[in-house]
This record gives sequence, structure tokens and C-alpha cells, in this order.
Amino acid sequence: MRNIFILLLVLWGISSLPANAQDRRVTGIVTSADDGKALPGVSVQVKGTTRGTQTDAAGNYSLALPVGANTLVFSFIGSATQEATIGNRSEISITLASDTRSLSEVVVTGYGVQSKRNLTGNIARVTARELENIPVPSVEQAIQGKVAGVQITSLNGKVGQGLQIRVRGNSSVSASSQPLYVIDGIPVTSQDQSSSTAPTNPIADLNPNDIESLEILKDASASAIYGSRASNGVVLITTKKGRAGKTVFEISGYTGSSQPTRLKEWLNTKQYVELFEEARANSVALGYITTTPTSLQNRFTRYAAGDRTGWEGANPKYDTDWQREAFQDAPSKQYDFSARGGDAKTRFFVSGQYFDQSGIIIKNRFRRLSGRVNLDHSATDKLTIGVNLNVAHTKNDRVSNDNAFSTPMQIVALPPLHPVIDPRTNELSSSYTLYYNPLLNRDFAALQTRVYRVFGNAYAEYKILPSLRFRTEFGTDLLTQQEEEYYGRETTRNTGAPNGQGTNGFAQVVNNTTNNYFSFGRTLAKNHDLDATVGMSYQESRSNVNSVTAQQFPSNAYKQIVSGAKVTGGTGTETRFSFLSYFARVNYRINNRYLLGVSGRIDGSSRFGTNNKYGIFPAASAGWILSEESFIKNIPVISLLKLRASYGLTGNAEIGNFGSLALYSAAAGYAGVPGQAPNQIANPDLTWEKTLQTDIGLEFGLLNNRLSGEIDYYVKNTTGLLLGVNVPGSSGFRTQLRNVGKMDNRGVEFVFNSSNLIGAFKWSTSLNIAYNTNKVTDLGGTTLNGSFLNRAQEGEPLGVFVGPEYAGVNAANGDAIYYLNTKKADGSRDRTTTNNYNAAEFVPLGNPSPKFIGGVTNTFSYKGIDLNVLFNGQFGNYIYNGGGKFQSANGDFFDNQTTDQLNRWRKPGDVTNVPQARLFGANGTGESSRYLSKGDFVRLRTITLGYSLPTALVNRAKLNRVRLYVTGQNLLTFTNYNGWDPEVNSDAYSGNAVNIGVDFYSAPQPRTIIGGLQIGF
Amino acid sequence: MSVIPNKKALNMRTNQYTLLLSALTISLWLTACDNKLNVTPVNTVATGQALTTPADLNALLIGAYDGVGGGNLYGGNLQRDGELLGDNGEVEWTGTFTAPREVFTKRLLVTNDQADITWTNAYRTINICNTVLANLNLALQANRPNVEGQAKFIRASMYFELVRFFARTWGDGDANTNPGVPLVITPTTVLDASSTVPRSSVAAVYAQIIKDLTEAEAKLPATDATYGFLAAKGAAAAMLSRVYLQKSDFPNAAGAANRVIAGGVYKLVGAGEVFDTRENINGINTAETIFAIQITDQDGTNNLNTFFGSTDVGGRGDINITDTHLALYTASDARSQLFYEDGDGQIRTLKYINQYGNIQVLRLAEMYLTRAEANFRAGTTLGATPLADINRIRARSEANPLTAAQLDLATILRERRLELAFEGTLIHDLKRTRRNAATLAFSSPRLIFPIPLREITTNPALGQNEGY
Repeated sequence: MRNIFILLLVLWGISSLPANAQDRRVTGIVTSADDGKALPGVSVQVKGTTRGTQTDAAGNYSLALPVGANTLVFSFIGSATQEATIGNRSEISITLASDTRSLSEVVVTGYGVQSKRNLTGNIARVTARELENIPVPSVEQAIQGKVAGVQITSLNGKVGQGLQIRVRGNSSVSASSQPLYVIDGIPVTSQDQSSSTAPTNPIADLNPNDIESLEILKDASASAIYGSRASNGVVLITTKKGRAGKTVFEISGYTGSSQPTRLKEWLNTKQYVELFEEARANSVALGYITTTPTSLQNRFTRYAAGDRTGWEGANPKYDTDWQREAFQDAPSKQYDFSARGGDAKTRFFVSGQYFDQSGIIIKNRFRRLSGRVNLDHSATDKLTIGVNLNVAHTKNDRVSNDNAFSTPMQIVALPPLHPVIDPRTNELSSSYTLYYNPLLNRDFAALQTRVYRVFGNAYAEYKILPSLRFRTEFGTDLLTQQEEEYYGRETTRNTGAPNGQGTNGFAQVVNNTTNNYFSFGRTLAKNHDLDATVGMSYQESRSNVNSVTAQQFPSNAYKQIVSGAKVTGGTGTETRFSFLSYFARVNYRINNRYLLGVSGRIDGSSRFGTNNKYGIFPAASAGWILSEESFIKNIPVISLLKLRASYGLTGNAEIGNFGSLALYSAAAGYAGVPGQAPNQIANPDLTWEKTLQTDIGLEFGLLNNRLSGEIDYYVKNTTGLLLGVNVPGSSGFRTQLRNVGKMDNRGVEFVFNSSNLIGAFKWSTSLNIAYNTNKVTDLGGTTLNGSFLNRAQEGEPLGVFVGPEYAGVNAANGDAIYYLNTKKADGSRDRTTTNNYNAAEFVPLGNPSPKFIGGVTNTFSYKGIDLNVLFNGQFGNYIYNGGGKFQSANGDFFDNQTTDQLNRWRKPGDVTNVPQARLFGANGTGESSRYLSKGDFVRLRTITLGYSLPTALVNRAKLNRVRLYVTGQNLLTFTNYNGWDPEVNSDAYSGNAVNIGVDFYSAPQPRTIIGGLQIGF
Repeated sequence: MSVIPNKKALNMRTNQYTLLLSALTISLWLTACDNKLNVTPVNTVATGQALTTPADLNALLIGAYDGVGGGNLYGGNLQRDGELLGDNGEVEWTGTFTAPREVFTKRLLVTNDQADITWTNAYRTINICNTVLANLNLALQANRPNVEGQAKFIRASMYFELVRFFARTWGDGDANTNPGVPLVITPTTVLDASSTVPRSSVAAVYAQIIKDLTEAEAKLPATDATYGFLAAKGAAAAMLSRVYLQKSDFPNAAGAANRVIAGGVYKLVGAGEVFDTRENINGINTAETIFAIQITDQDGTNNLNTFFGSTDVGGRGDINITDTHLALYTASDARSQLFYEDGDGQIRTLKYINQYGNIQVLRLAEMYLTRAEANFRAGTTLGATPLADINRIRARSEANPLTAAQLDLATILRERRLELAFEGTLIHDLKRTRRNAATLAFSSPRLIFPIPLREITTNPALGQNEGY
């Protein structure tokens, strides 16, 4: 606190220097190089100062010049920034060329903006144009493949679900690895709010078409200003602001539909019967079971709705393709409206959207109705006030998580012998099916999550001096969620409730934040520029979750709790946290080529243990714009050459709200008598996770920036990893939260942009590739077990698959065999095989995280036609199919099997990878590398073909712009993965960060095709 | 001279005021906020607040019942696994969970998650009991022996289950050297090197169990006057009779069982009333109940219903009863009627038809059977003759009485099976009587749970069982 005052005093001293007299004025008009039209809203700035203005509706500006002003800087989103030497001129008019190479644009940093040219940190930027009208609910999905080093994984093909975002790899094991989201300066709720393990995504409450730009702060220099919450990267979202000028209206809409990207092949009735008759005989011969052929046939008959002809003979009566039943027709549509305009004093942006996308799996749909008002008002020359306000209502029809009998994809486990409709009742097959029939949930159950979301902020900015501003912001994020579930009496087999069950859950998350900070920017002396920001921030958050469950409903016509004769469950919980923070940043520029930056934050949080209440997160960076040096300036081919480096400390405070305390829980009542029990063992030293990150980058532009790019090398050393360390069960606890672990990420990012063709036919390419290796270096000696084979294990990447190595099938007897892999005296592994699963050593089998991720976008345009093609992919990762032991188990149990199981071993000498079919034989069904596959893929993520009607034609109809387009999402996938989809991490397990690359009856991604229309007037 | 200061000076002063104001705003925030970092939890409370009054200690003791009644312990899975592991063809496991399937096929993997959760839940409950016992000073003077007795009863029961499932049975080798389970009898408040406790010998674990139960029996009241379902003297004695029987210590087994019977607190009820055959109604204890886990529609899970019950009654229908079992009953035996056929034609036991029914852990009939067997094998007639005890049990089920000539160990054990079918005693009875489970000898390592992989990797002081 004292430090802040010293800083304030210093700032005060600087700003009290005499202000310069204002005696000259320059005016002019700014036009677009593309069409010669006036450009409103262009920022005109006296270089090296904060003195500046914006062009008005007609593109005119007028600016008083301080003494010594010699250059004006014109910048405009989407255009190349231009500088003009003032000299003696009093009128300076220029044309701005549109620019997609973004070398001199302004990027949003925490608590401010900065020219990309002068940036010493790594900030990736995605602009509106790249985000608009992609048929996905949430903006993160729209940037898949577009940002180097940012991996975005949809857990499965359910629409509206939570996503997994990793910036420069996984930097945490049990705290969150998701980035911090900041919308218009205010941190917002982005964490899953679902009452089931299948996560929801609160970022989907934001209309992607409202976004002007999205910045991802990747290195320490860029992100340290967010201190203890920055280790996973920070996503800064800036929404569209009003612009002075004629009001521009845009209406647009699209419609389309989705299909599954891929299906798997399952046995038909004949194959099923053959396999299981064989499996029974084999197991009886081996003495495992005594099931008679008749008993098995009776089972088949039971499965075939009591009809022997249902399964017997060459043409069995029933042969259901259950997989097909899991999917539905999936229409999607979106309607948008926006208006943007204003005058010199007041500028506005308003928008509204209706988004409606059905999932490819039954009963899955996401709808969003959202509206936004962004208003900025210049009350005086010095005072600007404004609000950004977003209101949204989303409705998500959801299905059970992947590990529930009722989830649509588990339908594939049903034998093809079951008819969909039981002819005995003319209703859906129910009680006699091998498992619960998920179609019953389609017809007799509903799970809807409705979110009412308001987030926004109000701000006032006062220009104390031309070079000093004070900004105060107050933001709130109110998330209100209702989850309503009803399961009719037909679903009893799944719910256990004989006459229906209803649950009504209510969650409210309130976040209040205030930011107060000074920004200072001036040229101190010739060739010495200083920018500084200093301030404080306070955030408090409170979540309340209540739910009530009732059973015994008179009929399915009654669904609300009031109609349930018996209230069987209820809960109400609250949790809170707060952050009090001080932050500062200073950028110093010498000679326009030597750049120095220092930034940092002091964070205090209620989450930290008593011994570590406050943390300091500093970062330093330096840059050198070589292309300003005379020895390079004269090389015409080089437009920009910049070296930068940064080093700093950030933290991860997602360690839970009360993790440091020894706690008792009263959720231990018994038979109506109150009870309590210890549920957490204390750790007063508990603190944030710390990441020290080094980044070295090179930025270049060649041939007048027709070729440009960035190369970054980084090393992230994370220490103090929060771990629920396994402790001996005999202590009465399973785990204790400790800061024990260490993990490293290192990698290289490569971004390359090129304008291949310019002129009437334009072709540009944008490529990003990122390489990342992750290694858990210390876990305090323990191993964390995730689901199936996932582990966090020292010396291995996070989530590494560890288990027995499957060696295939013993050709002599059909036994599944495993490599012993025990360590021999010489350190090598014993490669002899065993049929005893327990004898095989557990060894690392593969890394679930990709080594390489990347994307390449090609954009073509000719006259009114535009074509945009984005491929993205990932390489070097493995996927474990947790459902393998049920789906592909050579007839171990009665689940329908994948057709590859027909290649089972049948007689001595057979060489195959599928063991002998043995009913209840567990022949090769233990978790092992048998169910592990490579997960490499390349996907045609987005392709858009658009046509803008000729301006002349459009103008005649009093319109500005008319564009027709078709977009395809996930049209093609190239992979060797034999599951549904290589882009997967089952929502039943993803809550634990160790679980990566898990497939478990996870729906494939949707392949979506839409056609749309945009009209501007 | 003008009174108006020059414009520049005014500007300067306004600027300074603004700056000052901003600084003030910030400093106000600073002072206002600092204490806002002290956020205390409300769903859970800090340990210091949790244990300060007699009521707090009572609540903690109830927490131990909640622990022991959990689905993975006496809420059903301990009994389920005792039946599946010992099965000789009387049931069929048809469910999808792999852990119980491994128990049923008697091929457990070291990763068996039931073994893992049984272990940690039992120890969690033991730690609650240890905490109660360490804080007995909080209890009201008059209630202190009762609280102590209950905690010791629960702790001993958990150690008994652990040592039976995770170690070689008594008499299979030397109990003094056979590794049992880690013996922890003080509460865990910090975790340090002393938390990696090695396995005590089977004999040491049994000694602790007997000590706890003996003390519990001495300190507990004859009946639970508060709620009527907490452990009372009879529960401790009944558990003790099981422990002695498992050790083949027949005189003591007969003695403990006899004390329960002679105490006169419990009465045999009609064969149809022993188990709660209503549906979807909160459970009740009967006069025969010595100790039962209380289940209501609000709290608790009857996992025996989950696994034995058909889907129509809220179960999963994972365990079918085979003809082999049904053939054990004689015609007039009322217990042969405790079965039903579900919609799929599978035979299931009626014992667990009520999903909110209480789970009978200890009931009086077992005491007669134990007294009969122990007397028979010790050659004593403590309380009654073995024949009288057996016939008393048969009579209440309208089964023909046995004659003295028919009475032998096999008949006594068969009677025990008929009476206690699917109640979780099977594998333990087979082991102590040295009978096979399916084709496996009583001492087969496959009939012993593995020490969970999680424990082995966490606690290097533990040794794994043979065969894993």
C-alpha cells in the first residue's frame, strides 16, 4: 500500500511538469484506400504523446498540436497504421490501406492498449472478421486453429458444452488449466456451473459477433499484470464500440444443419449371435462358466423381445442399428442485428442475436438470445464516460454425461437383437434390454439448463493532463442458472424412482469488480518515450447453489417439484472468494527502437493460506527493433525486424476457495440425526502455483510486410503445483492439498502470414504451428491416478497413459498377452510375454497431449467472391478408449461389439490382435495399450465461400453491402483414429486435469453446413 | 490586480485536486478491502469450530455411523462382496461393474476400485472413531461410556472387515507373522512420516478388535435410549461372537452369543418379518435386529437393493439367484418363499426388495446359529443344546425339526447358510471352516483382496498380498 503512494507521488511529480502551450492546429480528412470513402472513427494521435482525436462521420479531424509535435499517427482497426510528418503543414489528409498483416495495429493489453510494433510481450490477436458467423455456440470454438500455441478441444459433440482451452500446454495438474477471461476489462465467470460432471461453458453466453477483438496474453510480460491468475494465459475480449459517423445497420442470418463427422461399425444380429455362441462354448470348455447353449439361446430370445425368430436363422427378424438411433436431424440457425454509429460526443453500438443450434445427438440443443449496448460519451474534453452492457438468455437441452446408461451414445452397447419398439407392448423396448434404453430418456426425460446472464461495466475516464488519465471502472457479472430435470416413470430403470423424479437446481454467481488506474504516456525528451499504468483492482465473487429433488409424480403431465409427493433431496451451498490487487506497468522506448517493459501485480486473495496471503508477480521485458537501425533500414526487403525477450512470474490461483483449512463437513447425518465428519486436512502453507516463464521472440516483415511472421521460444517452469497428494488411506484421508509439484512446458511457436497474390485476385495465407513438450518433473514422490490409464507421474508428460503393454494374442491358444516389461538387471525391459495381466509391469504407453498443433488459413478473393479455408490439426498425441473393454472385448459381456472383433482368434495358428472370444473370460479386457491409439488428425475446420453483390447494384437498393455465403464446419477429417472422433476428452472424466485424451462413448463432432446472408445499410 | 488566479495556475490546481481525489478513492478502497480477504467457509466449518461442545461430539459420532453405513461398507458392498467372493454357484453376477465382477470371478486386479474404496472408507470411518475417542472429554460425564463404547464398536467392526478381506484368514499360516492391516488408533491431525503405517500382524489386529469390542460391550447400555438404532451392548457382544468364531475360539464365541441371547433384549420374529418386504418405504428395525444400517428416502443407500434388487424395485438386477441355491431348501421351509421372479424371469431374493429398507448387519438368529455351532464344536451346551438352538431357528421358519442323529457340523453350517443367505457371511464362513469357494481352496490368494494399488504406491511401508 505504501509502495502505491510512492508510485503515485512519482507520477504526480512527472505530470506536474509544465504543460506545453497549444498554439497550432492541423486538420484533414481520412479516406479508405480500398474504396475512397471517408473513414469515421480513425484515431489521430500526436506521436509520442497521448494527444489525439478521432475522425468524425465525414472522416474529418481537427487537432491542436503541442509544441515539438512532428508526427501524426493514424490508426484504425483493420487498417495499416500510418504516420505522417507534420512539418509546416496545417492540413494533412491521408488514405488508409486495409491491413490483415497486423504489424502496426493496436493490441489490447491488460488495463490499456499498446501498438503491436512496440510490444515486448507475446499477445496473439484475433479480430472480428475471423470470428463472425461461424456455426458454433462459443467464441473459443471460433478461434480453433487460429492462434499459435492455443489448443482448444471440444470434449465431445454435444452442443453448448464446456471446452478445454490450453495456452502453451497444461500448466496445472489439479488446479484449473483454463485461462482467465476478461471481457472489457472485467474478469468474468468462465468456470463450469453444471450440476453433473458434464461441464457447461459460461463463455457461450457471449455473442461472438459482438466481439471486436480477442487477445490472448501468452508470455509472462504480457500476462503478469494479471498476477496470480495468469499462468494459464489470459483471454481479453473487447466488444465492439460505437464509432462517430453515419449509423451503420447490419442484419444477417444463416440456416443449416449438422451431421456426425463419423460413425463406428457394429455387429449385426447374425454376427452377434455367432460371436457369443462361440464365446460361450470357449468359456465352458475352459471351465469359466457352465452356461448351456439353451440358456444362452434363451437369453437371445429374451433380448429379441421373446421371439426366437428375432435372432435365429439366416434372416433374423430383428437387426437394429442402434447407433443410428442416437442421432437426430440437427438444424441450426442464427439471426443478427446490429447498429453502430454516433457523433463526436456520443458513440454507440447495439446488437441483438438469436442463435439456435441442435446437437447431432438426440435431445441436445443450444439456444441463445442476447443483446448488447455499448455507449461512450465524451462529456467534456477531459471526461469520457460509458457503459458496456450484455444481456443474454441461453437455453441448453442437455443429455447425461458420457458415463451414464441414459446418455445417447451408450445406446451402441445394446445388442442388435433388441427391436426399437417392443412388439408385445408397441412401446419402446425397455425392461428387457441389456441396458437401459437411452431412447426412453429422449421420450420421457428432459434436462434443460437456462442461464440468465448480465455482464457489463460502467467507466469514467478523466484526462487529468494531456499525458495522464485516470480511469475507474465498475463491472458486474451476474450469472443466474436454472437446471430443470424431469425423468418420467418410464425411466425408472435408470433413476430408481418408481413414479418419476424431478430436480430443480438454481445457481447464482455474482462477480463484482472495480479497477482504478492511472495511465501516463509522454515523450520525456527527444527519443525517450514513457508509458506507465498503475492502479488497483478488487474483485469479490459469491456463488450460491440450491437444488431440490422430488419423486412420486402422479403422471408425466406434472413435472414441477410441487407435484412430487415426496421430496427426496435438497441442498443449498454457498462459496465466496475475493482478490485485492495492485498493478503497475512501465514501458520505456528509446530512439523508437529500444524497448523496455516492467510490469507486475501484487495479489492478495481469500483463497491463500494464512502464511501466504499476498503474492508478488513481476515481469520484465526488452525489445529491439533492428529494422530501425541504419544497417538494416537500408535493406529494402526488410520492413520489420524485431527481437524481444521477456521473463517473469505468474500464478495460478484456481486452487479452490478454502483449500488451506482443516474442515469438517456436516454432510454426514444419519437417519435424520445430524452428523459431522472431518473432510479436509489443513495446509496453512497452501498458496498459488507459480510459473516462471521465459520468452524469446523474433518478429519480421519482408517485402513491405507482404511476408511477415513471428517465432517464439518459451520455457514455462511451474512450481508449487497444487496436488491432492495421495496420502495413506490409513490416515482417514485419501488426499491432502499441497504445493508440491513441478512441471515444465517448453515450446516453439511459429506464425507466418503472407500475401501471396495482390491485385484483383487476392490470395493470402496465414499459418501457425506450435510445438510443446510438457513434463511433470516432481510430484513429491507420488503418482496421481486419473481415469483408466491416465497418470500424473514424475518424468512423464501430464496425463501420460501408464499400464500394461498389450502384446496381442498367443497364436497357440488365443490368450491375450502382455509384455512383462519388468526391469532387468541391465536396465532393459523384459520383453517376454505373459497372459497374466497382474504380472505385466505398468509402463508409460503414450502422451495424451499433442506435440504439434497448428492451423493454416488460406483466403482468396476476386471481385465480390471470397473464399476462406481453415485446416487445423494436432499431432503426436494418443487417445485411450475407456469404452474399449465393453465395445471391443471379443465377446466378454453381452454389449454389442465393434465389427473388428470378428477377427478374433479361432484356432491354433491364427495370427490376430483380437483374442479368443470368451464370455465372462476377461480375455484381454483389462485396461492396457490394447485400447490406446494415436490421435493425430487434420481437419478442414472451416470453409466459407461468400459473394458480395456489386456495390453499384447494392447502392441502387439503398444498401451498403449484401453478402451471401455458405460455411462448412468440420467437413473433412483425416485421421487414423478408429473411434468416433479424435477431437475428444470425455465429459465424464474431464473434470480431473489428469484425464486427457479419454474417449468414453463420446459423441463425434458435428459436421455443419450453413448458408447465410448479410445486409448492411 | 485580479482576484481570479491565472488560468494556468487554476488548471494546475484542478489537476492536483483530481489527482488527490483519485488517490483518495484508491486509498479508501485499500483500507476497505483489506479485511475483505478474510472469507470464511459456510458449507463446511473449520475444525476448531466443529468440536467444542457435547453436541459436537455426538454429531461426530453420528458421522461415524454415516461412514459405516455408506454403500461401500455396511450399506451393502461389504456384504455383497462377501457373497460374491464365496459364491459356489448359488448366484450369478450379470452386472456391468467390473470391480464386483472381478470379485465374483475371484480374479481381482490390483486396480480393483472396490478394494480401493473399501479400504479408504473403512479407514475414514476409523479416523472418525479415533477422533471421537480422543475427544471424549467433551462428552457429558454420564454419556461418556456410551460414546466410547459406540466408537469402539464401530472401529472394531471396521478393522474386523479389513482384516477379513485383506489378509489371510486366522489359522491359515501363523497369525502372528501373517501381515494384517495397518493399525491406527489415534486421530490424524497432521500428515507426516508417521502416517505411513506398516501392516500389523493378523494377531495384533484381532487383539485390538477384541479389546475394543470387549470394552464396548462393558460400556454400552443395554439398549439405545436416544434413537433406538445406535449400537448397544448386544451389538458389541454379537460382533465379538463373530470375531471369536472367525478365530475358531468356540468357547468365547458361544459365550458372546449367549450373552446376547440371555440379555433378552432381542426376540425372534416371524420368518416373513425378519426382512422388510415393503417397497419404497423408510426402513424399520424389528425386534430381532441387533444392529442395522438405517436407510431412508433422504439418506443412505441400500446397496444390497441396488445389486440384488430387480429394476422394478429400484435395483440394477445384477445378481441372479440360481437353482443351485433354491434346491437347498426343504419344502415346508418358509425361507424358500423369500424369492421372487422379476420381469425378465430372473429369480431374486426378497430380502432386499425395499430400496429404503434397513440393512440387517447383526440379528438374533445368527446368535443362535453361532451358539449352536460353537457349543457343538466345543462340546459344550452353554445356554442351550446345539440341537435346541438349530431347531428354534428352523421352527420359526416352519422347517421340520432336526433329530439329534441328523445334527452334525455340516447340518449346522447348512442351516447357517439358509438363514443368512446373501447377508455377507459366506466367504468368511467358508474360510473359517476350511471349505472351498468354487474350485479354490479356502487359503487361495485369489480369495483375498489385493492391497489397493493406490495404497501400495502411496505407502511404501505396505507389503502386497501374495498373488498380486
